[in-house]
Amino acid sequence: MLIGLVTFIALMGFTLGPRVGLTWPEKFMRDTVGFVQGVFYKPASYIAGFFEDVRNMKEVYSENERLKMAVAQYARESAEYHRIKAENEDYMNMLKFTEAQKNKYDYDYRPANVLSVNQDPNNHTLVIDLGEKDGVRQNMTVISVEGMVGVISQVGNFTSTVKLLTTLDPQDAKRQQIAATVSNKDTFGIIESYDKKTRMLKMTRIPEDDPVAPQDLIVSSGNGGVIPRGMIIGKVVEVETGEFGLTRTATIEPAANFQDWKTLLVVFTPEEPQE
Amino acid sequence: MKRYQLLILLLFLLFIFQGTIGFWLTPPALQGIISPNLVFVAILFATIYHHRHTGLVLGLIFGIVHDIIYYGEMIGTYSFGMGVSAYIMGMIFNKPRSPLPVMLTAVILGSLLLDSMLFGIYKLFRINPDSYNWALLHQMLPDLLIHFAFALIIYVPVRKQLDLVVKAPRRSKAS
Repeated sequence: MLIGLVTFIALMGFTLGPRVGLTWPEKFMRDTVGFVQGVFYKPASYIAGFFEDVRNMKEVYSENERLKMAVAQYARESAEYHRIKAENEDYMNMLKFTEAQKNKYDYDYRPANVLSVNQDPNNHTLVIDLGEKDGVRQNMTVISVEGMVGVISQVGNFTSTVKLLTTLDPQDAKRQQIAATVSNKDTFGIIESYDKKTRMLKMTRIPEDDPVAPQDLIVSSGNGGVIPRGMIIGKVVEVETGEFGLTRTATIEPAANFQDWKTLLVVFTPEEPQE
Repeated sequence: MKRYQLLILLLFLLFIFQGTIGFWLTPPALQGIISPNLVFVAILFATIYHHRHTGLVLGLIFGIVHDIIYYGEMIGTYSFGMGVSAYIMGMIFNKPRSPLPVMLTAVILGSLLLDSMLFGIYKLFRINPDSYNWALLHQMLPDLLIHFAFALIIYVPVRKQLDLVVKAPRRSKAS
């Protein structure tokens, strides 16, 4: 009994820290189970989706109206975006940017299907059907259509595990922090925790004189190096003075809703030159 | 011997079920809060109607499968929690012919024990910022209700099958 206890605590301690890869038995197990899970999850999600569609029939009309307005706005904005992008490229050429610098923010989004969901609130993870063979690496960012969802925590041959943002926690030994900014202002802040009680993210270390205000869209700034730039995180709900009075703390409503998982996108960043 | 394999196959199917279809059956408001562990309930049945060592081994195996598939922080929490709590439950309710109320008490206590043990391990490795009272009210008690309902549903068929498993070796000895 005691020996078992010691073994398990050692095992937990060993696997807690950052690891380079998985050993082959682990990979084998993940791949076989992942395959079976895929067989079950797809039909279940379709059936659940069908019932939800029936329920939502009434809302569809009003949503359609809203979407039409959104599309009109989108068309205008995309024209402007292309103009600015072309201008930006011209400037890059004028200033003689290197090829690596130009490609730095050229991300590749690849769709992945969810295979299964672990509902444990302390270790909230998903399994998706992209793995090492598809070029997935640890710490890649995963987004849904609405916004950022989480980070790849472990990679198998054909499947990988996504650790959700809902497990963000400032006390965690190997915590993941996200440097964040407001989409059109020069704000700095760090997203470091998720509150399970209110289901909100907390962004801390915002300078006192910062122009951040409720309803601002928060995106990742890419300063940390791990999370790429421009991932949508959420909307500011309120801003208050932080613990020590020198900085401010914002409460952020996550853009992704962390439920009803179907398809996610894995963000492939261009390969950094090895040093 | 064949029934053992059937039992393991059933547990495996249940494990798949809980991560895929089970997720879609949870109402959206509760997603991410409750984590029903149906495999554990089934293992408790095996523990009480068969033997506590069976429960220990099954708990360890399915716990480690769970840990590796959903590898977020570390391996070993579920394996340890499920194995040990199934064993302890088997020790307390040490009768192969337990009636329904005893079995349900075992499910209630076992589910509380497992959730508290997981909570304790996460607390130990500083992954969990919540207080125990909050987790008890918002996570463990809803889990407990689901486990209880699930135990009621599967009581009759599983008990029948497990009684056969227990009887089978005895019959072969007698003949």
